[in-house]
Amino acid sequence: MSKPLKDHICEEQLFSSIFRKYSKDLHDFLYYKFGSQLNPQDKMQEAFVKLWENCAKIPQDKAKSFLFTTANNLMLNAFAHQKVVLRHREIIPKHSTNINPEFLLQEKEYSAKLEKAIAGLTEAQRVAFLMNRVEGKRFKEIAQLLDISTKAVEKRIYGALKKLRKDIHEL
Amino acid sequence: MNKKDLIRKWLDHNLNPAELEAFEQLEDYPSLMKLEQELNSFKADTINEDNAFEQVLKSINSIKKNPKNLYATLSKVAAILVVAVGIYFYTSTLDNTTNTVASQQKSIVLPDASQVELNAMTTITFNESNWDNNRDLNLTGEAFFKVAKGKKFDVKTDLGIVSVLGTQFNVKQRKDYFEVTCYEGKVIVTSKIKQIILLPGDTFLIIDGKYIATEKENLLRPSWLTKKSTFRSIPYREVIREFERQYNVSVEFEAINGAQNFTGSFKHNDIEIALKSITLPLQLKYSKTDHIIRLKRE
Repeated sequence: MSKPLKDHICEEQLFSSIFRKYSKDLHDFLYYKFGSQLNPQDKMQEAFVKLWENCAKIPQDKAKSFLFTTANNLMLNAFAHQKVVLRHREIIPKHSTNINPEFLLQEKEYSAKLEKAIAGLTEAQRVAFLMNRVEGKRFKEIAQLLDISTKAVEKRIYGALKKLRKDIHEL
Repeated sequence: MNKKDLIRKWLDHNLNPAELEAFEQLEDYPSLMKLEQELNSFKADTINEDNAFEQVLKSINSIKKNPKNLYATLSKVAAILVVAVGIYFYTSTLDNTTNTVASQQKSIVLPDASQVELNAMTTITFNESNWDNNRDLNLTGEAFFKVAKGKKFDVKTDLGIVSVLGTQFNVKQRKDYFEVTCYEGKVIVTSKIKQIILLPGDTFLIIDGKYIATEKENLLRPSWLTKKSTFRSIPYREVIREFERQYNVSVEFEAINGAQNFTGSFKHNDIEIALKSITLPLQLKYSKTDHIIRLKRE
C-alpha cells in the first residue's frame, strides 16, 4: 500500500516549513550537548541535507526523529571524546561604568563557579536543563523533542537544579 | 503547596498568579533568580534561519539528480545547450565582484555554499562559471572564510596566496600588510618570502616585507565579526587606518610615531568610546570636526 503523497517531504514547501519548525531547536540541542567547538550550525544544516536526500523514504511524522538522530550521529563522528565546555560569554556591561569593583569580582567568581558546576552535570541533565532555563521550553516540549517521557525530563531538570545549587554553594 | 512542588512548577514555567506570589516568598527565591539571570549568558548562538536555509538549498542543488525520463531530459538538454553555449561565452569572461564601502560589512554565499564575511572596504572577485573545478578568488581588504569541503580553494592577494581544503580562516590584506589567521582545519600560505602551513590558532603576519611571529589566537572567530577590531602589537598607523575604514573618517596625526606598537581594541558602534580606546593608552588628545579627526600629544 503506498502512502499518500502529502506524507512525504520532497515537496519544497513542506521541507521549508519543517526547517523553520525544527532548525533552531536542533541547533540549540547540538549546542547544549556538544558545545560550540564542533560547529552545531553546520551539523544542523547537514542533517537537513540528509533529510532531503532521503525525503521519499521518510514520512512527515518521522522527520523530527530522523533529524535529531542524524545530527547527533554526525556530531559523534566528529567528536573526539573531548569534554564539553560551555563557555561563559562575556556579558556586555550596562552603561554605568562606575560599578563597585567588589561587586564585579563577586559576579566574576559566581560565573566561574556556575561554569564549573554546569560542566559537572551529566550530558542528559545539561541538555534538558539549559533548553528549559535558557530557551524557556516547557517539560512537555523538551520531552517531544528528545522522544522521552515528561516525567523523565522533569527528573533531569530538577536533578540538575539541585546539583547546580549544591555545587555552587560548596565550591 | 510545599516548596518542592512550587519549584517544580516554576521550572515548568507553569505557576499561576497565586502560586507565583507564594514562590516569590520562598527563602530560595533570590538565589534562584540570581542563577536564572546568570544562566542567560550560556545561551546558544542565534542562527540566521534564512541564511542557513539558503545554504541547505545550495547544498541540495549541488547533489546530482538522477534523470527519470531520458528522452525528455535529452531534448531539454539539447535546447538548453544552445542557449547555454551562447551565455557561456558571454559570462565566462565576466567575473562576479562584491565589495563593501567604509563602515559596512557584508556576508555572501559562494556557489558551493562556502561562506564569506567581508569587512569594511573590501573587494572580492571570482568566476562563477567554473567554480566547482576551480575555486579561486581575488581579495583586496579583509574577509573571514568558512569553506565548504571539496577541491582546493585559493584566495589570491597582492602579497600572497592562501590555499585550503575546507576550513575557517581570516585574511587581511593592506598596503605592506598581510595577515592570515586559521580558525579551523589547515591552511597553506604562500608569499614571496615564506611558505607556511597554519594550524588552528596560528597567525601568519607580514608587515613591510618582514615576517613577524605572533601569539596563539584563542578566539573561535575574528573579533570584527562582532563589531570590534582587536590588535596585538600592531603598528599604530595600521590601527588608525582600520579606524578610518570602520568609521568612514580621515584621521590626521603629526609628531606621533606610526611605527609604535599598539595592543588593544575598539568597537564599531560608538565613535566617542572607540576614539578614547585608541588615544588614552598612548596619552593622546583628539579633536573632531565633521569627518576629520586630529590627534595630538598631550
